[in-house]
Parts: sequence; C-alpha cells; structure tokens
Amino acid sequence: MSAVPVTAPIVRRRLPASVRRKRFLLAVANHSFLIAAAIAFIAPFIFITLTALMTNEQALSARFWPHPFAWHNFVDVFRTAPLGRWTFNTLEYSVLGTLGLLLSSIPVAYALARLRFRGRNVMFMIVLVALMLPPQVSVVPLYVMWAKLHLVGTLWPVIIPNWFGDAFSIFLLRQFFLTIPEEYLDAARVDGLGELRVLSTVVVRLAKPAIAAVALFSFLYTFNDFFLPLLYTGENPHHWPLQIGLSQFRSLHQVQWNLTMAATLLVMAPVIVIFFLAQKAFVEGVTLTGVKG
Amino acid sequence: MLLFLSPWLVGFSVFFGYPIVMAVYLSLNHYDLLSPPRWVGLANYRYLFTLDPQVGTAVKNTLWLVAVLVPAQVLFALGIALMLARARSGVGVFRTIFYLPALAPPVAATLGFVYILNPATGPVNALLGHLGISGPLWFQDPVWAKPSLVILGLWGVGNTMVIFLAAVLDVPRHLYESAAIDGANWWQRLRWVTLPSISPVILFAVVLGVIQALQYFTQAYVAANIASGQASQAADVTAASLGYPQDSTLFYPVLLYQHGFSDYQMGYASALSVVLLVVSFVVTLVIVVNSRRWVHQAGAVR
Amino acid sequence: MKRVVIAAALAVAVGLAIATAAVGARHAGPTKLTVWVGWSAGKELVTFKQVAAEYDKAHSDVTLTVVGGITDQKITAAIRAGNPPDVVSSFNSYDVGIYCGTGAWLNLKPFMDKSHISTSIFPKATMYYTQYNGTRCALPLLADTYGLYYNSALFKKAHITHPPRTISELTADAKKLTQRNPDGSLKVVGLDPLIGFYENVPERWAQAYGAKYIDSKGHAILGKQAAWQKMMKWQKSLVDWYGYKNLVKFQAGLGDEFSTSNGFETGKLAMNMDGEWRVAFLANEVPKLQYGTAPLPVDDAQPDLYGSGYINGTIIGLPKGGHNVDKAWALVNYLTTNVHALSVLTNGLKNVPSTTASAKSKEIVPNAHFQTFIKIFNNPRSSTSPIMASGQSFTNLVQTFWQNYQAKGSKNLGADLTKLDSQLDAQVKQAGGGNGGGGVP
Repeated sequence: MSAVPVTAPIVRRRLPASVRRKRFLLAVANHSFLIAAAIAFIAPFIFITLTALMTNEQALSARFWPHPFAWHNFVDVFRTAPLGRWTFNTLEYSVLGTLGLLLSSIPVAYALARLRFRGRNVMFMIVLVALMLPPQVSVVPLYVMWAKLHLVGTLWPVIIPNWFGDAFSIFLLRQFFLTIPEEYLDAARVDGLGELRVLSTVVVRLAKPAIAAVALFSFLYTFNDFFLPLLYTGENPHHWPLQIGLSQFRSLHQVQWNLTMAATLLVMAPVIVIFFLAQKAFVEGVTLTGVKG
Repeated sequence: MLLFLSPWLVGFSVFFGYPIVMAVYLSLNHYDLLSPPRWVGLANYRYLFTLDPQVGTAVKNTLWLVAVLVPAQVLFALGIALMLARARSGVGVFRTIFYLPALAPPVAATLGFVYILNPATGPVNALLGHLGISGPLWFQDPVWAKPSLVILGLWGVGNTMVIFLAAVLDVPRHLYESAAIDGANWWQRLRWVTLPSISPVILFAVVLGVIQALQYFTQAYVAANIASGQASQAADVTAASLGYPQDSTLFYPVLLYQHGFSDYQMGYASALSVVLLVVSFVVTLVIVVNSRRWVHQAGAVR
Repeated sequence: MKRVVIAAALAVAVGLAIATAAVGARHAGPTKLTVWVGWSAGKELVTFKQVAAEYDKAHSDVTLTVVGGITDQKITAAIRAGNPPDVVSSFNSYDVGIYCGTGAWLNLKPFMDKSHISTSIFPKATMYYTQYNGTRCALPLLADTYGLYYNSALFKKAHITHPPRTISELTADAKKLTQRNPDGSLKVVGLDPLIGFYENVPERWAQAYGAKYIDSKGHAILGKQAAWQKMMKWQKSLVDWYGYKNLVKFQAGLGDEFSTSNGFETGKLAMNMDGEWRVAFLANEVPKLQYGTAPLPVDDAQPDLYGSGYINGTIIGLPKGGHNVDKAWALVNYLTTNVHALSVLTNGLKNVPSTTASAKSKEIVPNAHFQTFIKIFNNPRSSTSPIMASGQSFTNLVQTFWQNYQAKGSKNLGADLTKLDSQLDAQVKQAGGGNGGGGVP
C-alpha cells in the first residue's frame, strides 16, 4: 500500500445511504421534540394573554378564545389597582438596592480575588456558606431588629442589606476578577496608583461586562423578590412593590381572573423587554455563574 | 485593604452572624414582640419535635421537593440542552423560547399557572376534556398540588438549561472523535464522554436546586392563597389557606412564616429556623465534601 | 467620566431617599386619625366612609382617614411593628384572646368608666366575644349572624313549599335541587357542604348541632361529644353523594364570594349558608333575584335549637402604640354607641345593630329578609366561638382536620377527634394558656 502524503487533501467518504437516513430521521425526531417542547413552553404565555383579553364571564367558563376582545382590560387594571404606586416602590427598591450592591460588592470581590492577605480563602469559604443558607434562618431576629427601629412597613429593611455586599454578586465578580491578568494591575501599580484607584480605573473598566451582568441580575432579583418585601411591607399597602401587589390583586374589590391575568402580563412585561434589550449581558452573566473553579 | 472588605464584614456580622446567635437565644424564649421575651428553656423544641401537628408534614413536603423537584429540573434542563446541542438550525430561537419563562417573576408565573390549571375553567383541563381525558384537580387536589408546583418549576428551567448548553457545547471535540473511532454509539458517548465532562456543572445545578428547595416559599404561598379562594379574604373569616389543600403545599419555610409572622410566636419560629440552619448546613457540608468523589476532574477521560 | 457617573448615581440615590422621607412628613393642624376597617366589598366601605365623613364634619379637631380591606394579620403586624393606626377593627373575634391577652389592644374599662358607658347597653352575646379573662379590649361594632338563603324560583320548580327545618329535610331538599350536566359534572348545587367554601366553617354547623368546643376549664372536648361525630358523618355522607371531586371542580368554577359572580347570586347554588349582610349585597347587585331567608336547619334530635344561629361580629378597639388615644376613644365611643351612626351602618351594611337602643331606632329601614336575622340574633340559644389564647390557630386546626376528613374519611373518627383535642390543648399551652373566662354562653 502506498503511503498517503501528509499534504494530500483528505477524501471524505460518502456514508452509506442507511446511515445517512438514520441520521436524518434522528435529526427530524430531535427537531420535533424541540418544537413540541417549545410549544409547551410558549403555551402558558398564550393562555394568559387570551384570558387577559376576555370578559369576566368568559374567563369563568372553559372557553379558549375571547369574543369580543376586551382590550380595555389593560386600562381597567390601572383603575382597579395603584400600579403606578407599586411600580414606584419596586423601582425604589431595585435602583437603591442595585446601586448599593455594586458599590459594596466590587471592592470586596476585588480583595478576595487579587489582594493577598491571610485568611483570604477562609473568607471566601464563608462567603460561599453564606450563599447557601436559606434566608429564613436569619429572618426572625432581623425582623425584631427592624421592628425596634420602627422601619417595618417600609422597604428599607430590604434595601439596606444590599449596601453591605451580596454573596452571590461577590462570588460572580471574584470569578471574573480572577481572569484579569496581573500585568494590567502591576502596570497601574507601577504608575503609582493606590489600590483604590487601580480598582476604580483599571479593573472596573475591564470588568464592565461582568458588572453589567451583576447589575442586571440584581435588578431582576429585586424586581421579582417576594418573601422579604412580604414580610416587611405586607401590612402596608402604600409601600407594596409590584409582586406583593400582584399577589394581593384578587382581593382588591374582588377582582376576577381576566383582570388578574392582565395584571400578570403587565408585571411580566418589563423583565422580558429588558431581556431583549440586553440579551448579551444576560447570557454572559448566566455562563459566568457556570464558570468552573 | 480592610477598607475594601469592610462593607461585607459589617454586613456579615449584622445581617448574618448576629441573627444566627440571636435566633438561638430567641428559640429558648416565648416572644411575641409585645412583651419582653420570657424564658422557657427547651419548651419550644419539645413542641417542635413532639407536639406540633404540622411539623412532620412540613418536613416531609420539603424533603419531597429535594427528592422530586430537583432531579426533575436537572434532568429536564439537561435533556433540552442535549437536544439543543444536536440541533442544526434555529438554536437561537429555541434557546430564547426556553429561557423566557425563567425570567417571569415567580408570583406572576404562579398566578398564571393556578389559572391555567383551574380544574373547571382552565384551558388545560378544557383541552384534556376535548381529548376525552378527565383532568385532575391540580392545585385543588392534595395529591396533585405538589406535582403542579413541579410543572411550574419545569417551566422555569431556562437558567439551568442555558448553563448546561454552554457546558455541553464546550466538551472538546477530540473526545467525541476518539470515542467514535472506538465504535461508541450515542448512549455510550453520552455516558462516558459528555456526562463526565459536564459533571461539575451538573453538581452545581444540583447544589443550587437543593438550596432553593430548602427555602421554597413564594410559589407555595401564592398558589395556596389563590387556589384556596381566600384571595378575597378581606371579608373572609378563615385564614387557613397556607398549605392549601390539606397541608399538601405546607413546606418548612411556609410553616416558619406562619408561626413567626401569622401567629407571632417568634420564639417558636426561631426554634424552627435553628433546626433549618442545622439541616441546611449538614446538607451543604455533605455535598461539598463528596463533590470531589462525584465530579470528574477535567482532563481525565474514562 | 466615571466619577461623574458615580456622583450622579449617588445623587439620584440620595435624592430618592430624601423624597421618600419627605412624603412621610407630618403636617400640623387638626389631629389626623387613621381608622382601619375590614370592609372593602360592594357598597360596604362606602357606607362606613359616609359615617366617618359625618363625624369628620361634626368635629373640626380631627380629620379621619379610613383604610378598608384590613385583616387580623395586618392588625397584628402593625401593632408589633410599632406603627399601628389610631383605631382598629376586625371582622371577627377569633384573635381577641391574643389582642386582650397580650395587651395588643388597650384595656377599654378605664375609658368606658370615664365616659359612663356600661356593658348593659350591649347584647350579652357581644360582651362575651369582646373580652378575654376579664380584660375587655374591644367593643362590638355591629354584629353578624348566619342563616339559610334559598332561591325561591328553584324551590318552586322542585316543588319545595317551605324551607327545611331539620338536617334530614335539608339533605333531601339539597338532593332534589341539584342538577347535573350530561357529562356528570354539577350544574346547580342544592347546598355545597364542603368545609372551607364561602362561609362554611365548622363553628357555624356546630351551632346547629349544639356541639361545643371547650369545657368550663378551657380544654378541648370535641372527642367527648357525640354531636361532633354525628355532624361530621352527616356532612361527609352528603359530600360523598355529590362526589368530592365533583364538588371541588364545581367550586373552582364559581366566582368569588364577594363579587357579582357569587354562586348564590348567579343561581348556581340553590341554597347557601350565609351571613345577614348578604341581604344588602343581593339588593344592590341582583335585585330581581327571588329568594327567601330562614334560620339554619338543625339536628333532627334537637328541634328546639331551630331559630338560633351562630353569632359573631365586627369588633373595634384601640391598638397599643397609637398616638392620639383620647381622640381615638371619642371616635370609638361615637361609632359603638351613637344611635344615628349605628342606624346608618345597619341600613347600609345590613349588619345586626349592636346596642339595644339602636336596635329599636326608628331610622332603621324595615326589611323582611333582614328581620329573619334579627330574630336569630335575639334567640337565647344562639352562641359564639370560644375565645382562646391561640387565636385563629384554634379554629384553623379544627377546620384543617375537618377538611382532611371530608376528603379522605377516617377509620376511627372518635379516636381522631380525641387526638385533635390533645393537639388543640398543646397549641393553647404553647400560646400561653387560658380561655375566654368560663365556657361559651
């Protein structure tokens, strides 16, 4: 047998027809499953939307299709519930919370990633442990503390803890900071910058995608948060954020399912819109959490 | 440098260290936030372990979540990720569709599902009716209430699925090629190449799932409230809606909330939280210690 | 650039913080009193606000803010968090054991003495459920009682000539009035017996069987009375006749109790156990509906119970930590004793007047349906729930037990009830011990 020269083009054999057909069928089956799953995933959104457009009686029957389309439901929702007030409360929580979170988590993550000090690894382990314990573990004494400070009934008990760093964000940012080559930091240090300046000028600029992802996650988390706001503002409707208001929606003037579904859609919408606008940051952030190490 | 760590150090002591110490103290007292704490020794724990009629159910329900919801979510997310990895066209569209429900706020998603699964007026049972199947009572049936929550949970696996997809796509091609040369079929490739390579990510998803199962509250609270019809409770007398129906959705965090913030027995709720702390700590310890055994180190194949 | 962004963000944050603080700032001027009430549905809150507005106009030193839709949970949360309103009101007395026992609601005796109000002007039953262990921390603000509403048109169609008086008559009528769809599901239900549905709670049926919760020492005695087992077995047999799953499915498709799609108002329920306020709702929402009212049917073995009913009612009090106690008391005094105020509320809410004087007031518009409930309220055998230190948890535990039983049945109901008794006692002990002060009237 003559030796095949290394530089000769590799000849791709055509696979036998049976193998090709089997692979084609497998691909079709795969795609069909995916399509079926996709339909199942979209169906709830469609059902919710259709119900949101029904009249009250139709929502109470087993109909699929609204007839007529009650577009005014979306207006009625605003008349029934103080959605504006709720949105303001949610934004207050999200904006103040996220800002504070970023300002406090970035330095901590940086210290854990780059600065050398004794007990660094122990500290990181503690951060991880703090991440894993349920909030219910600390909730009773904290409630007592906030009650003594007369802050129960406001959103401050949920906002303020964010100003002291958040374990998840610290973890994420640390992972990213670890990937910054030491040379950049050394170059800045050689230029005479103190650690704080190194952090605020060099590191932050390099870590913009990670920071954006953290901010996005924090915003999403505060937008969806329910347990702690329920605890602290549950009895004070004036300070209800959107999620609490939505959960209590049906008890307002004994509202029915159609308006409830309309309100549900309205509450879901901002997050989905933000997703489409900031897709890249989302996906990056999610994969960051899966980064090994 | 201490300055850098200071926010977190302060936060940790105030919002984490202090509460845990205080919780142990409060658990040995009777405290209703109106009069000073009254020392009762181990009475709260005695009630917890022997007399509270709901604790056993709450523990069983939470363990059910760990045993059923977590594997279901992981397997489902993995399955979809594997299918997506194989797909040639439309991956972006599919990925978006599968990810979107994970973005829905839990309250909104639960409200939607309680309506969709309404046994009398919901579209799911209407559809099943057209197919000749008499649909179950979903959130109104204690046997089906937790599975309904699982279905809700499966709807939201987008996050996990995206992570799995990235990990599956990251598996080095040469591993597959050498396996193909060895004559491996798709199942063998899956078992001996794919799964070991992504095992750290699977472990991560399982750990996250278990942590969430131990704190599961929002969906259970909202579903029980709405399904029991007590949502219009302004004029309603009975508030026995948590855990509806028949305590089947009464999970440990929900019970804790009920005792601490509905009955205002903060001493007893502290006892419940101390037990939860111990259990969570043990569970995470077990997982972390054993992670080396379960996770396949990158680089070593087979 | 980065510094500018950070500075701007900080400024926005600080600005937001200041703005939210400013919104909560107090103004000087007439004393602001906040009143929390449970009413929110239909015209109820409007009626109360009308009375509040009259008081506001007559008293220039106070301005009233009324907040509706209040539940016991909101009240306890606000008091414990240290930011309660000035006046609180609850729809029921279940938590009075907690309110009076822990001092969450202030002891009203000193106030009543100063204003020369004696407990004799209130009906005896209402005096029981507004105190605990001798401490009175609440006053009744109108009362509620429960009876049977029935759809006259459906009665005529089924050839039923008079409302049922005994449980067996009730059962027979319920079965006659039930209509099913061709697929077997329920179309019209004669009587929905499921515990937890609308106003169906154990204590109201217990009244019809003369079943008691506690003995004179405050220990639970459900397992010791034949009445509880008889009652629960009857209810389960009716549930099984309908089919438990059929009933649950039927219920899930009904509108909310206090909405215009209420099952009785839309004709899907032929008979329904409901409170006296339903008369007002029916007049406002479905004036064309032909219906009748009667006392709740009673145990065949105890026919002399017929005509009595379960009594409870809205209570009102002063929370611990309120700032304007004296002015708040003046308002409470007015609301609970002023004949005109009580008459307006009675006419608008169709709730039972809570003082003997207001019951005789000429301002009250006569109404035949409403008269049924006045008679039930005045029946000497009518009674209410025991006041327990564990508050609502007491009744909730019994309700959960019954809901389990109606779904699954039991091999030995007597033994299960005895076990329930020990659980109830342990719960009371855990909460701090004691009962309402010697049995139930």
